[in-house]
Amino acid sequence: MSEPQGAAPAPRSLRPGTVTALLVAPAYAWLTLAIFLPLVAMLVFSFLTVAPFGNRVAEFTTTHYLVFFNRPYLVEVALRSLALGAWTTGICAAIGLPAALALSRAFRGRTRELLFFLVILPFWTNGLVRVFSWTMVLRENGILDDAVRVLWPAAPSFGLLYSQPAIVIGLVHAYLPYMILTCYLSVVAIDDAVLEAAKSLGARAPVVFWKIVLPLAAPGLIAGSVLIFVPVIGSFMEPRILGGKAGVTIGTVIEDQFTQAFNWPLGSALSFIMLAVVLVIFAVFSRALRGRLTAS
Amino acid sequence: MTALGKAFLFAVLVFLYLPVAVLVAMAFNASPLYALPFEFTLHWFEALSGNAKLIAATRNSILIALLTTVIATTIGSLAAVALSRRRFRGRTLLQLLLLPPIAIPWLIIGTAMLVFFFWTGIGRGLHAMVLGHVALAIPYVVLVVGAGLNAQRIDLEEAAMSLGSTPRHAFFAVTLPLLMPSLVAAALFAFAVSLDQFVVSYFLATPGVSTLPVEIYTSIRKGFTPEVNAVSSLLLGASMVLIVVFARLSGMGGVGGRR
Amino acid sequence: MRTLVDRRRFNLMLGAGVAAGALGAAMPRARAAGKITVLNWQGYGTDEAWALKLFAEQTGIEVVHDNYNSEQEMFTKLRTNPGAYDVVVINSAWTSRIAEEGLLEPIDFATVPNAVDLDPLLKDSGNFVFDGKTYGVAWVWGMNALGVRKDKAAGVDSYDVLLAPESADRVALFDDAITEIGIAALMLGQKIDDPSDMPAVIDKLKAMKPSVKLIWSSEDQWNKAFSAGEFDYSIYWSGAAGRSQKAFNLPVEFIVPKEGAIGWLDGLSVPASAPNKAEAVSFINWMIDPAFYVKWATDVGAPASANTKAMDELPADDPQKLIHKTEYLKQLQFMSPMPDERRQAFVDAWEEVKAFYAS
Repeated sequence: MSEPQGAAPAPRSLRPGTVTALLVAPAYAWLTLAIFLPLVAMLVFSFLTVAPFGNRVAEFTTTHYLVFFNRPYLVEVALRSLALGAWTTGICAAIGLPAALALSRAFRGRTRELLFFLVILPFWTNGLVRVFSWTMVLRENGILDDAVRVLWPAAPSFGLLYSQPAIVIGLVHAYLPYMILTCYLSVVAIDDAVLEAAKSLGARAPVVFWKIVLPLAAPGLIAGSVLIFVPVIGSFMEPRILGGKAGVTIGTVIEDQFTQAFNWPLGSALSFIMLAVVLVIFAVFSRALRGRLTAS
Repeated sequence: MTALGKAFLFAVLVFLYLPVAVLVAMAFNASPLYALPFEFTLHWFEALSGNAKLIAATRNSILIALLTTVIATTIGSLAAVALSRRRFRGRTLLQLLLLPPIAIPWLIIGTAMLVFFFWTGIGRGLHAMVLGHVALAIPYVVLVVGAGLNAQRIDLEEAAMSLGSTPRHAFFAVTLPLLMPSLVAAALFAFAVSLDQFVVSYFLATPGVSTLPVEIYTSIRKGFTPEVNAVSSLLLGASMVLIVVFARLSGMGGVGGRR
Repeated sequence: MRTLVDRRRFNLMLGAGVAAGALGAAMPRARAAGKITVLNWQGYGTDEAWALKLFAEQTGIEVVHDNYNSEQEMFTKLRTNPGAYDVVVINSAWTSRIAEEGLLEPIDFATVPNAVDLDPLLKDSGNFVFDGKTYGVAWVWGMNALGVRKDKAAGVDSYDVLLAPESADRVALFDDAITEIGIAALMLGQKIDDPSDMPAVIDKLKAMKPSVKLIWSSEDQWNKAFSAGEFDYSIYWSGAAGRSQKAFNLPVEFIVPKEGAIGWLDGLSVPASAPNKAEAVSFINWMIDPAFYVKWATDVGAPASANTKAMDELPADDPQKLIHKTEYLKQLQFMSPMPDERRQAFVDAWEEVKAFYAS
């Protein structure tokens, strides 16, 4: 699992390599048993013609991985899913970082604690019921329209439900707390003294933000982006419920392969292609951000 | 600037709580189809008290979530410490391996678990659900605690060591207290992931035993009624109380009091 | 929690048994006598509390349920849980396929007294037969066709209304490849489970794009969206239309257009590995009993019973009776088993249509 370290310092009771191994072993052993091994089975399936159940004979094939060539209409669906991920992550970052800053700078003590928990609390409501509540808000003559009409009775309907924007709203709402929290954990460690020093040297707010705050908040932004972008691409609940006929994503396509077609090989292949795309994107990004990702 | 910050955060909270407010309000609305105009009733809470299945499911959900939180936060944090503080070959690989559990749709993971557990005799049941929930929560714990660790100045630990402290003591006396907010956040995430996890629970639960999200999800076929809102509202209320109590008791100085 | 621990030991034992190739062999089971497990959609008749109570009083058998949300899921559960279920509700389009894998027990109609009253067209349906034996008991049947808001329903007699200008942005389609391809096939006069001109079918569906507002996948979603006034025309289930009228007073009218409707037949089957086969059969007998059906249909709303006696006992003005006319049984094309490749072709076609709607 882990390798021995380089030039080891003076011998202690345990070798450093052993310590590292002991630290990561429980989590990764658990993941191996519960996730990686089952996924290996799915990976094997994705190279078969059919799922090897019953008396079906399954042969080796790579045709599922050519799915975007065989079914070109899926290319647009995939691109739209990636765009959905980018929009959601971007908006969450644009709202989340300022919110984290506000939380850590503008409040103190008990109030700050309370607000911290208030941000997490919506997570503990059931996702499906929450999304459904959004349909009530966004639908024609729904709560949003009613609220606006209190001020301006002749207002036309926003007509937001069953559209891409509605999906984005639902997704941003579901994932924003991740970003706020991860950014908060980063910025709360920023020492006031550093900011004071910068200001006393004549730096103005935008410069302070760009050159000091942003780099220090980077770990939080990156962790948040991972926790948001990755699941959003494969999301299917918000697209289905809020998107109407516009709610087609790679996630819904994969779900259909499992629930309507019983084509586990194709569904798995699509998932692994998606995973590969995600890994490529992060490889490209981490190259650009190397040095900011981890401390020292 | 501070006033602007306060106003902004307030706006964000309004956005976050808008559907939650609707959710709670609908628990008191008479229409089983969630139709307005609003008509106050406690009918759904009454129905809930007689709905043994939903109550049992809620109890199971909370039990599993607590178990998941304890296990996932512990082993996830250990791994995060290693990934963040120690240099070793294979570290990048381990970091990348955190991605599949969150990248692969839960439907695939759930099916994969079902098949694999069946083949290996692990089967379905409480143990299988906890196995699945913890695995799905670990990446969140590692990422959150990792972000907290990375944001901390390692020179504090090094300073302690240069003053004669051993690395282990420096860790426990300096880093760990500073890490408290991250650990708490990670625990809260793990709890949320488990509480709302329906796909894996759905596949791995034994017939007759259910969890809350599974109940809600399977009842969308027939029609979920505001009873679901009622139980969600109660859970929300209980969580708020719990959090306030916990915050008082643990005195989360790391979050609030330091600056 | 007690049950869960038993289950763990039970599953470990079972895993060892499977590994030893003892699948299907009789094995000691830690299960109470007089208890059966039923696998079905949630809220679909077999779990009506009053019915289970009556059954327990008459026979002493307790009934426990497990649910599924798609036929695929039901199939997976059957494959991965041998010995867990005693009764399973299977759409007749799937019965022979599941029987082919050796997962079902043939039905001996001598042990099902109420079966004599089943409509022969349904009871003897080829869909339940595999290799000369019958593996399902006809239970309920229904149709997929048009569900139209009452004040727009006058004069609607064709699926072409889904393409008409007045239905722009007011249509809700059912998210099921078999149904939607089938509807388009009906519009083109082709067979619903083997259309001769699939590209024309796909084009027909694509032409509906301006009309389609949303694609529903559960009865609950349909009810909530309809009651919020989001659509006027839809593809809907006949039994569900009756339920929506009865339970929620929704002004929906179920219309079977001149092109026809898609029929489906649900059957009750017994898994080959069921531990309590005799009790399972007596439960099946109760499910096709008029005493059960009439109360289910009048109190809750249900599709049509395959038992002609049960249908006769419904009040004359019952919506289910009015919708499910017996002459339809001879005219309807019923959903039938189809080879996997064709099913995949259907799913791919529908996926292409949905992607087109979203673009």
